[in-house]
Amino acid sequence: MATVKLTNVKKIYPGSVNATVHDFNLDIADKEFIVFVGPSGCGKSTTLRMVAGLEDISGGTVEIDGEVVNDLQPKDRHISMVFQNYALYPHLTVYENIAFPLRLQKNPKMSQDEIYERVTNAAQILGITQYLTRKPKALSGGQRQRVAIGRAMVKDCKVFLMDEPLSNLDAKLRNQMRAEIILLRKRINTTFIYVTHDQTEAMTLGDRIVCMKDGYIMQVGTPTELFDWPANLFVAQFIGAPMMNTIKTELTKEGNKYYVSPFGYKLEVTGDKGKLLNDRKVEPKEIYLGVRPEHVTLVKEGAKNGFPVTILVNEMMGSEYHLHVQTEDGTKLVVRIPTINLSEEERAKMVAGEVIHVAFEGKAMHFFDIETEYNLLTDNQYHAEDDPETPIKSNEAESELPAETSPVEEPKAEEKAEEAKPEEASKEEAPAEEKKEEKEEAKKE
Amino acid sequence: MANTNELELLKKTKLQRMGINFVAFFKSIPTKIKNLGLSIWGALKKFFWGIVNFFKFIGVTFVKGDWKTKVSYFIMGFGSIFRGQWLRGILFLLFEVVFILYMVLLGGGYFSKLYILGTQETITLDDGTKIQGDQSFSILLYGVLTIFFIAALIYTWYLNIKQNKIAEEIIKEEKKLETAKDDLRAMVDKNFHKTLLSLPTLGIVIFTILPIFFMVLIAFTDYDKQHATLFGWVGLDNFKQLFTWTAGGKSFSATFGQILLWTLVWAFFATFTNYFLGMLVAMLINKKGIKMKKLWRTILVFSIAIPQFISILYVSQMFATDGLINGLFGTIAGWFGNHNFQPIDFWGDPMLARITVIIINIWIGVPYLMLVVTGILMNIPADLYESANIDGANAWQQYSKITLPYMLFITGPYLLTSFTGNMNNFNVIYLLTGGGPINTEMYGDAGSTDLLITWLYSLAVSDSDYKFAAVIGIMVFIVVSVISLVVYNLIPSTKNEEEFQ
Amino acid sequence: MADKKSMSMSKKRRIGNIVTYVVLILVSVIWILPFVFLVLQSFRTENTGIVNYVFPHQWGFDNYIFLFSAETNFLQWYFNTFIIALFVCVLQTAMQFMMSYTLSRFRFKLRKPLMNVMLVLGMFPGFLTMIVLYQVLKAVGLTGDNAVPGLILVSVASSGMGYYVSKGFLDTLPKSLDEAARVDGATRMEIFFKVILPLCKPILIYTVLTSFMGPWGDYIFASVIALGSETGLNVAAGLYTWLGQSMISNNFTHFCAGGVIVAIPVMVLFMFLQKYYVEGVTGGAVKG
Repeated sequence: MATVKLTNVKKIYPGSVNATVHDFNLDIADKEFIVFVGPSGCGKSTTLRMVAGLEDISGGTVEIDGEVVNDLQPKDRHISMVFQNYALYPHLTVYENIAFPLRLQKNPKMSQDEIYERVTNAAQILGITQYLTRKPKALSGGQRQRVAIGRAMVKDCKVFLMDEPLSNLDAKLRNQMRAEIILLRKRINTTFIYVTHDQTEAMTLGDRIVCMKDGYIMQVGTPTELFDWPANLFVAQFIGAPMMNTIKTELTKEGNKYYVSPFGYKLEVTGDKGKLLNDRKVEPKEIYLGVRPEHVTLVKEGAKNGFPVTILVNEMMGSEYHLHVQTEDGTKLVVRIPTINLSEEERAKMVAGEVIHVAFEGKAMHFFDIETEYNLLTDNQYHAEDDPETPIKSNEAESELPAETSPVEEPKAEEKAEEAKPEEASKEEAPAEEKKEEKEEAKKE
Repeated sequence: MANTNELELLKKTKLQRMGINFVAFFKSIPTKIKNLGLSIWGALKKFFWGIVNFFKFIGVTFVKGDWKTKVSYFIMGFGSIFRGQWLRGILFLLFEVVFILYMVLLGGGYFSKLYILGTQETITLDDGTKIQGDQSFSILLYGVLTIFFIAALIYTWYLNIKQNKIAEEIIKEEKKLETAKDDLRAMVDKNFHKTLLSLPTLGIVIFTILPIFFMVLIAFTDYDKQHATLFGWVGLDNFKQLFTWTAGGKSFSATFGQILLWTLVWAFFATFTNYFLGMLVAMLINKKGIKMKKLWRTILVFSIAIPQFISILYVSQMFATDGLINGLFGTIAGWFGNHNFQPIDFWGDPMLARITVIIINIWIGVPYLMLVVTGILMNIPADLYESANIDGANAWQQYSKITLPYMLFITGPYLLTSFTGNMNNFNVIYLLTGGGPINTEMYGDAGSTDLLITWLYSLAVSDSDYKFAAVIGIMVFIVVSVISLVVYNLIPSTKNEEEFQ
Repeated sequence: MADKKSMSMSKKRRIGNIVTYVVLILVSVIWILPFVFLVLQSFRTENTGIVNYVFPHQWGFDNYIFLFSAETNFLQWYFNTFIIALFVCVLQTAMQFMMSYTLSRFRFKLRKPLMNVMLVLGMFPGFLTMIVLYQVLKAVGLTGDNAVPGLILVSVASSGMGYYVSKGFLDTLPKSLDEAARVDGATRMEIFFKVILPLCKPILIYTVLTSFMGPWGDYIFASVIALGSETGLNVAAGLYTWLGQSMISNNFTHFCAGGVIVAIPVMVLFMFLQKYYVEGVTGGAVKG
């Protein structure tokens, strides 16, 4: 039950030049459920581990409940954590595993009765009472996961950390546990930080999502914000499945109407988006046009904004088709068509080689700058704050810097991040690497 | 990764490829040497700057520090004690006191004589009283100890100053200083590794590093039977003897050369006979369709359980001229009508002794290798063999294309260690032959089966020829480290970690 | 036709198996026989020297009775070795685990240099240090008749250098266990004793077993440190004296009997803990 505040937090692994996490700024409200999401190597786990105290903080401060915890040991930070591989103590029974943190509490020492009370209570909530006397080895993946959660929840903690807790489970179990975590969260009622690489988990669990890439925050916002108003091309493509279609094209203006011209068709930007472009007085230029597969609709031949495409592959998902199609100029798109409204006849047409007509929904188009890859219609450009060239700037100076005024500098930063990527990616798996290296050393002998 | 050059290689035959790799290896030597030089140069530079920074740090801290810090330059721990970190302070102070006491009472006197190792002989006066002279051994020993002590003092002194500086900074920032209680708590938590390491490293410093350092120094003296109490520095004389070739006549260099050669030959055969025969036995036991696998394995493991000295000594007696083996041969010869069987002198003939030693070593080493190999054999993914079967490989092809490369890959480093281990395999040689048969042509009555290590033993223990024992010790180190370095850089296990994983 | 072929294949396999069995039996005999001979000769009473026949002409317990009589120091040697083995197996295991746990679990500045130094030191022949240590121990009176504490000290002091096998094992324990325990509120010491050590049982047993067996076969150090003493020797150095030029004709069968007595407890222990030994050896060879 506490706020968490990260100010300019930075991680540089010893012996490495590039930072794994660049100036990371985030305010987490009390009882908020925050999800860090991003591809592997983006620094999300490293950030979480810095909050936990398992990694040294190279720069900046982490505050929990208003107290700077940089120099505190994990055990003094009042946190609980669930690990990706559960990290259950193999030699202890389930009961002893859950009781472990309670038995270690010193002043005041907890009585055996109270420990029993708490452990059985947690076990009941998680439905593992009948396994309390077993060893972890005798449990299934899902049960182990529950034990790990149980061990984390018996302790009174200020922040509840979860590091990819579901990624070792199979798909079905994952969905089930996801729902249970939502329920659990209501019960525990504390601040959560949850790390995942799976955008679905992020969308379903988070009050707010922190989307990261190469150690930079790409966007912070509610799931709806991230989905509807992605700050940049990366977020747009990372959130949502199948991936958003992006087409390099020209944004033109005639009167107060905006047009895009993908694959040689001239399509009008209709609805809110057209209006917004007008309001912001966006200059016509070359852009990336983004359209989610579900916002490509099936239309009759000759309909407004419609164009023909050839079906390459049809993936039948049950409730919908995922069509991989090709336009006349050879661009490949993915289209999501709900099956429920299709007649038998129409369904019969949805096979490879057939030509269908589709249209982009104007109100669901996204426009990204070709150089900075920023969304032309949003303001919160997180990336811009974290210019690696000027690492420790005062907060005011950074917030004064308007996001869109740094297109010249930005590519540089991007390049930097690009360069850093392979190294950072390997750093993410630092423990594994370390182990390998050890083996090598051992072999020397 | 696969650039065009590597793809080109695939077209060549195996022999051509080997040739190309061979040439590439030698071509890469200059760059390797260059890189080595560069890294040495880098290390030197780093060392130099380390020293510069050290003095800079000391100077700056002294000038900028408060009076407590300044006093700490002379009375170690003073600042810590007066800032409330009394535990650290007292430890610093204690060390300084111990050091001063040691220097005054013991070390100082010996240390001052270190440069010449003593001159005064012990004299017995006419009335029988003895005037104790200098003991070179003690002078050297305490001298070395003093050097270590001084190094430790400098380091602690540095730590003491650093502590003062850190404490001053913390006070300036108005943070809380760590108290003695915090220190104690850190010993089981944050600094637990220091707590754990202190005893083992202290043991290694006193019982390994110090003696080795001492023995290296001995190699530059004339410490032997004739100079038992009083010896002096002779510079590189002993090494000169090692490298001046004087043929025959008990020359040290010729003996060393011969023994080194035999040591390498022995290590080679001991390692590879065990390796391949151990692998063979392991594969036979693990063969599909063979029953009672556990029994066969247990029988072999059984021979590991018996302390080696018993089995080795007993077997060595079995091969004596009047031992069981000759008895057996005699009986067999009797069956064939030869009642005049001459016992074979296994330990008398140099060549025969060497061969026998290698054969007996097979008997000693194979069970152990069998265990090692079995563990690895079981780890070879079965699908490799299944796919080889489908591809139509026969048993021999499966062995030579899958099992052997896999084994060599996994056990490469192990082979290296067992090779160097065999070079220093004292027990087998000494307990079997004692180094014999003695070769009177060789220096210090070395024997034909003597390894460097057993020769070192007999030079030191029987002949008190310490200077040469020390020289041999250093040479063993050089040979072992060179072999390790070269082989380690050549074997694939260290390069392509993932190939078989 | 297909039937015929499969017949010949199974036949081929059967022949292969028979050959294998023959080889295995031969191997077993070669490896077992010397020990059988040893035991047989320990019961020989007609002659105490070396003979060239296997079966004693006269059987008896004379050799064993001799070992327990006042004529020899065998019991003293035995007792010495037992005490040494006991101390060494406890202390050496402790030292090795202190070293391997730190090197496996902690990352500190001097970690790599420390490992490199130990690697380099390991390339010096271990016996080299003996010459100095003998003089040092002699100065403090721990040689000759008092060799037992000296031997313990020498065997234990530097044993941190043999950390490789146990570190190899520790490296396989997931690091997240430590991390979970740290989050759960354990100090590093509590992690060591409550989490890691209980998980190390197999390798702990292996280490204890090998370090217990070590002193029973240690000839080289014992022979130097106990130089000149009759009562300070361990079994290896003691029994070795019986095989010297002048002693062997009177003592060979005594040696055999002594060997049997020495081998029995070690062997029993070994057979009980064989599983752990095999695990340790196979794991250790791949890693170290």
